[in-house]
Amino acid sequence: MATRMQTDTPTGSQDGISSNIDRWTHINKLLNRRGPFCDESFAPGQGKDSLDTCKILVIGAGGLGCEILKNLALSGFKNIHVIDMDTIDVSNLNRQFLFRPSDVGRPKAIVAAEFVMKRVSGVTVTPYHGKIQDKDADYYSQFQIVICGLDSVEARRWMNATIVEISRDNEEIIPLIDGGTEGFKGQARVIIPTLTSCYECSLDMLNKPTTFPICTIANTPRLPEHYQKLDTDEPQHIQWVYEAATTRAKQFNITGVTYTLTQGVVKNIIPAIASTNAIIAAACCNEAFKLATTTAPYLNNYMMYTGNEGIYTYTFEHQKKLECPVCSDENIPVAVEVKKDILLEEFIDWLKEKPEAQLKRPSLSTASKKLYLQAPPPLEKSTRPNLEKKLRELVGEGEEIVITDTTLPFSLRLLVNYV
Amino acid sequence: MDKTQKYDRQLRLWQASGQTALESSKVCLVNGTATGCETLKNLILPGMVLAEKQSIFVDNNNKINIIKSNLYLGIGSFTILDGKTVEASDIGNNFFLDAESIDAPRAERVAILLQELNDDVKVITTDLHEKPLLKLSEILWNAKIPLIVVRTVGFVGYIRVVLPEHTGNVYFNTNVVETHPENISDLRLDTPFPALLEYAKTFDFEKIDSLEHNHIPFVVILLKYLEQWRNEHGNKLPSTSAEKNAFKQAIISGKRVPDEENFDEALAGAWKACSVTKIPSEVERIYNDAACSNISFESSSFWIIARAIHDFVENEGHGLLPLAGSLPDMKADTQSYVALQTIYRQKAKEDIASVRAHVHKILSSIGRPIDFISNQEIESFCKHAAFIKVIRYRSLQEEYITSPKKSEIARWIRDPNDNIVHYLLIRAIDQFYERYQRYPDAATLDEEDGGNESEFINFKSIVTRLFNDYGIKEIPSHVDDFIHETCRAGGSEIPNIASLLGGLVSQEVIKIVTRQYIPIDNTTIFEGIKSTSTTYSL
Repeated sequence: MATRMQTDTPTGSQDGISSNIDRWTHINKLLNRRGPFCDESFAPGQGKDSLDTCKILVIGAGGLGCEILKNLALSGFKNIHVIDMDTIDVSNLNRQFLFRPSDVGRPKAIVAAEFVMKRVSGVTVTPYHGKIQDKDADYYSQFQIVICGLDSVEARRWMNATIVEISRDNEEIIPLIDGGTEGFKGQARVIIPTLTSCYECSLDMLNKPTTFPICTIANTPRLPEHYQKLDTDEPQHIQWVYEAATTRAKQFNITGVTYTLTQGVVKNIIPAIASTNAIIAAACCNEAFKLATTTAPYLNNYMMYTGNEGIYTYTFEHQKKLECPVCSDENIPVAVEVKKDILLEEFIDWLKEKPEAQLKRPSLSTASKKLYLQAPPPLEKSTRPNLEKKLRELVGEGEEIVITDTTLPFSLRLLVNYV
Repeated sequence: MDKTQKYDRQLRLWQASGQTALESSKVCLVNGTATGCETLKNLILPGMVLAEKQSIFVDNNNKINIIKSNLYLGIGSFTILDGKTVEASDIGNNFFLDAESIDAPRAERVAILLQELNDDVKVITTDLHEKPLLKLSEILWNAKIPLIVVRTVGFVGYIRVVLPEHTGNVYFNTNVVETHPENISDLRLDTPFPALLEYAKTFDFEKIDSLEHNHIPFVVILLKYLEQWRNEHGNKLPSTSAEKNAFKQAIISGKRVPDEENFDEALAGAWKACSVTKIPSEVERIYNDAACSNISFESSSFWIIARAIHDFVENEGHGLLPLAGSLPDMKADTQSYVALQTIYRQKAKEDIASVRAHVHKILSSIGRPIDFISNQEIESFCKHAAFIKVIRYRSLQEEYITSPKKSEIARWIRDPNDNIVHYLLIRAIDQFYERYQRYPDAATLDEEDGGNESEFINFKSIVTRLFNDYGIKEIPSHVDDFIHETCRAGGSEIPNIASLLGGLVSQEVIKIVTRQYIPIDNTTIFEGIKSTSTTYSL
């Protein structure tokens, strides 16, 4: 091990000036020469300086993140920051190639940063092991570009709202590049806050997550999945759920309960492979490279990718949503139609189901009263009786409802019309 | 380390059978470029072991070397064929080379750093020019070995898959069974089999209580109303949109209260229930293929089962494929859902048994033992019978020399947004290389020194000749921009494009070796300026 450590030490000293120039032979051709599709602002020979000074933030050091960090370092970015709250799990090793079996249990951001700095000399990768929500607008506004390689809607939504807000408040607009994958599918997009559509504008493109009504699970289970609803991460808990599910499934003559299925249902696991991550991460980094160096125009603004049947991409301009609660200048409340005898509780359930809302624990109020608040406990208790009431008794026709959710850094505004 | 745990996220896509195929396949990479190494990374990570001993090595000087020694072997059991030594530019774009690697043999160094990726751990060529490539592809085509060709130039990438069809026991996925379609439910509502009809009759819609009523499976609801419709309409299904709406109205009138979810599910499925179950025409062509009619000792298991299914359709199937037997989730109580599921599964089992009997009959007629084809293979085929896929690839010889798709290419090139221009320019680059022993490589647009006019002119004259070969007399004006861009790129392999192409190629390799999902037929161009891609059958 000792010898390995020695030979793997960064060897910047051996990397003399001439070889350092040679090292960038490939990208230098594009940086040092004007192309027919270049923006007018492109200046041959300036690209390397832009890359030297560009401070870029990578959100997530998982499947996409590992690829993104490698690509940025090889593309000549010198000052890279990375945030990730997770530690390394065995199931990451089939694609997160900056990690080795001996790294299991260590923070992803730190191990990834160490590895990239060891392999690519001259790059600084600054890791932060923690949540994106730990950092404030001051922190985020130091970056020129942000790339997200996340797997959760919630985190991307938060990040998008934060970056849009900063860009709105400051002179400088921070481009946000977002990548996502699931199995053989993925997407890469460029968000230029306030100018192009943002992540929030496209929430309704997401599929509704598969959830099963509790009554189905309790009374009329049909699928093996119906035996396995529980929220846990511990292998022994999953084993327990698996065993309990098997017993209950036998009782109802349902076949197909396996450990893999159990784990998939309980943890809501999304299949992931190295190849799709490589494709999407590279598409994102290609955009970062073009944005930082103006060697070619950037993507306008969305590329969808599917690889299960041949190779298929669809590149299009996703339109800004006029009533987007995050990026619209107007900030118009959204008009919704609801049944006139709907109860507040039913209304909240209906909101949770709406793909363009994606709410987990919404709190609702109007200008004059609190309808239902999730926290703090005394307020939750005092507003709880409202859940049984008809919405119409609480909110008048055309009155505005403000919805907040702990997962959102902004509020949604709705105007209710009874039909 | 527990493999199920380590490979959990991918096993969900290709299951244990795909994983075994992946781990036992052999891949050889010609030239350890950035694109090549990115490809290998994505193959080693999911568990592929790269080939032990390599036999063919073609370099850009057009030499074909048959190597049986360990000279070009990497570490462990995978192979990278590369005669080059590492230069500084290689460590700039290749993550699997470090400063230590300079002047060392490139194959050896990338092998060491790639090996680290997976301690458990087939032919891809990168950066190989036209002439040596044609030689290599001919050898591989005759040896029935799949070949994937990859090129990257600046923001542009090119992939060509060449899969010769196997006639023997082993088949690559020019023929795919497990295509992983999104929805394989096949409910046979228009032609219910006896067991299904019988079960549907056990529901008395009028007499049951309201809880039971809103748990009648939608399949049963549809069967009841379809039967009623047919009785009233001379045994015909609703076909016009007015009829279909009337049919829907009949279902709605059966609701006891407005929000019966099972009736809503029936309404959602009503349109499909009105359409006649038939064999998709693309799939029917496969079952009527010559390879299906002419079964011999040489026939692969794919074609033998396909023939058996053809015979099933003609006989027991009464014109229909074997039933897949899967049932979607629906509003129902557990007991009736499981009962319905059992009925579909039972029918699927009976169909499989009939197909199996046909398979055995065929095997004995051609002198093969019964265990030549496993039950599992027959079952999987029957389940996917409506979704199988056969792609017959054209060889590179056909594409380049004997029957190039001239008229199509001449048509596509007229559209300034069509990516076919990149295909032609990559071909032109190779011809340029042959003539000048280098890539077109100069700034042709920079105003200060007026641009390197001669490079542009030299390259354009080669492009013009190539276009003429394709019957394109006049070069469309937009092509000039791409000629400039190609000269600018100077054959560079930039890291992001290398990585993106590496992702695409590894994905195609995985499809080929696991015989799951559908590979490209046969060329994909990725263009990283607009971030678009196009697949062509060339």
